[in-house]
Amino acid sequence: MSSIQIRNVTKRFGDFTAVDNLTLDIEEGEFAALLGPSGCGKTTTMNMIAGIEDLTKGSILFDEQELSGTRIQDRNIGFVFQNYAIFTHLSVYKNLSYGLEVKKVDKGEIERRVKAMADRMSITHRLDQPAASLSVNEMQKLAIGRSAIVEPRIFLLDEPLSNLDAGFRAYMRAELKVLQHEFGQTMIYVTHDQIEAMSLADKIAIIDQGKLMQYGTPLDIYNSPDNRFVANFIGSPRMNLIDGELREEKDQLKLMVSGGAEIKLQGQVKSEFASDGKVQSGSFGIRPQDIYFGDQRSDSDIKMHGTVEVLERVGPKRLAYLHVLETMFIAFDDQDRLKVGDKVPFYLPSEKSMAFDLASGRRLGGVAK
Amino acid sequence: MSDKSANTPTKTGYWAKVAQDGNKMGFWFVLPTVLLLVFIVVFPLFMQLYLSVTWWTPLEGTPWYMAWEVFSWGENYWYQLTDPRMWGALWRTVLIMIIAVPAQFFLGMALAYLFIEKFPGRKIFYSIMLTPMMIVPAVVGLMFYLLFQGTGPVNDHLGLPSNFSWLTDVNRAMISVIIADIWQWTPLMFLILLAGMLGVPSDQLLAARLLGGSNWQNFIKIIVPRMKTVILIALVLRAVECFKIFDLVYIMTKGGPGVQTETISVFLYKLTFAELEWAYVAAIGLTILFVLSVIAAKGLSYMVKKDK
Repeated sequence: MSSIQIRNVTKRFGDFTAVDNLTLDIEEGEFAALLGPSGCGKTTTMNMIAGIEDLTKGSILFDEQELSGTRIQDRNIGFVFQNYAIFTHLSVYKNLSYGLEVKKVDKGEIERRVKAMADRMSITHRLDQPAASLSVNEMQKLAIGRSAIVEPRIFLLDEPLSNLDAGFRAYMRAELKVLQHEFGQTMIYVTHDQIEAMSLADKIAIIDQGKLMQYGTPLDIYNSPDNRFVANFIGSPRMNLIDGELREEKDQLKLMVSGGAEIKLQGQVKSEFASDGKVQSGSFGIRPQDIYFGDQRSDSDIKMHGTVEVLERVGPKRLAYLHVLETMFIAFDDQDRLKVGDKVPFYLPSEKSMAFDLASGRRLGGVAK
Repeated sequence: MSDKSANTPTKTGYWAKVAQDGNKMGFWFVLPTVLLLVFIVVFPLFMQLYLSVTWWTPLEGTPWYMAWEVFSWGENYWYQLTDPRMWGALWRTVLIMIIAVPAQFFLGMALAYLFIEKFPGRKIFYSIMLTPMMIVPAVVGLMFYLLFQGTGPVNDHLGLPSNFSWLTDVNRAMISVIIADIWQWTPLMFLILLAGMLGVPSDQLLAARLLGGSNWQNFIKIIVPRMKTVILIALVLRAVECFKIFDLVYIMTKGGPGVQTETISVFLYKLTFAELEWAYVAAIGLTILFVLSVIAAKGLSYMVKKDK
């Protein structure tokens, strides 16, 4: 079990910068997820931790110890590949025992540990069969078991659930969380699926184009995103992000959206937009569940008028697509009263709205908490 | 017929039917090849079989089809079993095979392992590595003939006197031939084994390394077992080729000194063109064909079974 320090790591492939000056501290026993869209550099980061890729700049430390000179074989890392990389020419037993055999562990000890691990992973009945005959779900278990059996310092998982069918994926997600508690190991989990990251990880690092966008607990990231990218990336349905020009008219700060719609800024979000005098174009963010209909609950809430264009059922609730001229807001129709074509007033609560600088994407007014 | 069919919309006649019937068309497409094979494979085979049971030689002036006049039953087949020169040639062929093929295998394997990782100049080295294989064997024979001369570069470099002979020495002649064969055919081994080695999934190799396996352990436990079929094919291919070795030997030593480097092919060549014992050659040739076919069939069925 180890903590991992990633210090100012940069990785370039020719002209392409895959990872750009990344700094990340993962504490001992922590379950950290690297989350980002495809090609954002999360797998490259993982490969650098494992020693598969060299670093262009910076350093990676385990327990504050520099790793750059350590060979892959000696890093003692448990790595679960996206396609599992099971040794298909060997039996299940031999797959599990490989990591122990190469370390010349005593035979009886190997047998005991393989049996225990097979039991833990419930693949005991498959032990003598060729690994190639396993189902994808069993391969997944075998891949985790094979890495766990050598008791690695850290565990790296590269999108391990992406090949599974939906039912087993949910089961495996819960199972992984249990395993992590059992092993008590530091785990790094690469995924592009925010639900996996949100439900599994203690901390999430959101990466875009090789840069760290935000690192924090799932709730932190959800509630107070540091920038427009994180706000847009996390949450389903997505946050409403309305881009426009900031303009002051008759003491009223407004966000003018192309197409004619305007948001009259009030209360907290207004002072956030105003906090940086230089910003000219901003992005107004509000999560769909925070928009409400009916009576105004607070003086600082911003009133809008829109037309219901589409109603979409999502489970027990309905999503309403509201058009204000050419601008669209998505909101939850929690009272089930809206009809398509209705012209309705709705409110954007000022305290729950977020202000971003459109040019840099940074959150304005400082993060509230 | 073709004039008529060109004008009428619905074509009739034999060729029109052929055009519509896939099987018939197939028959006509295959026919030339079949005829060719009959002439170059089946006919000579039976001719050989016929000659092998006679005493016929081209010296006596009787045409080959009249060979039944000197019918010998199975005398040729019996004689080859007790012919020390035949057994000697066979032994020497096998000797070259059991030394050269494993040597090529181990060298090829080692080189292939060097080439799976990318390094600067890899492509250039790769091309250079493959050149020996592409040189005509006769030219390779000539090269080594020149290299191994008493006053040649080999002796020169090793600081040996010019009367230290390679190609005319009873022991060293064979060594020279084997060295030449290894030099020429290691690249082929390398090529096949490299292809096989690149076929080993790189993520499995990586997984093995991450599990703490040393390079040697991973090589023995992951790479080699996964390459089993390719290794078998490479070995069989080279063994069969090696059995037919002729050009190198003939140019370097002509089978000499004496019969010290006389392989089966060289032996048969001499019998045919120097001693004109065509009936005897036919008998030996057929025997070798039969034995090799049995071995190949056994080997193939073994491989097919393994794959299942």
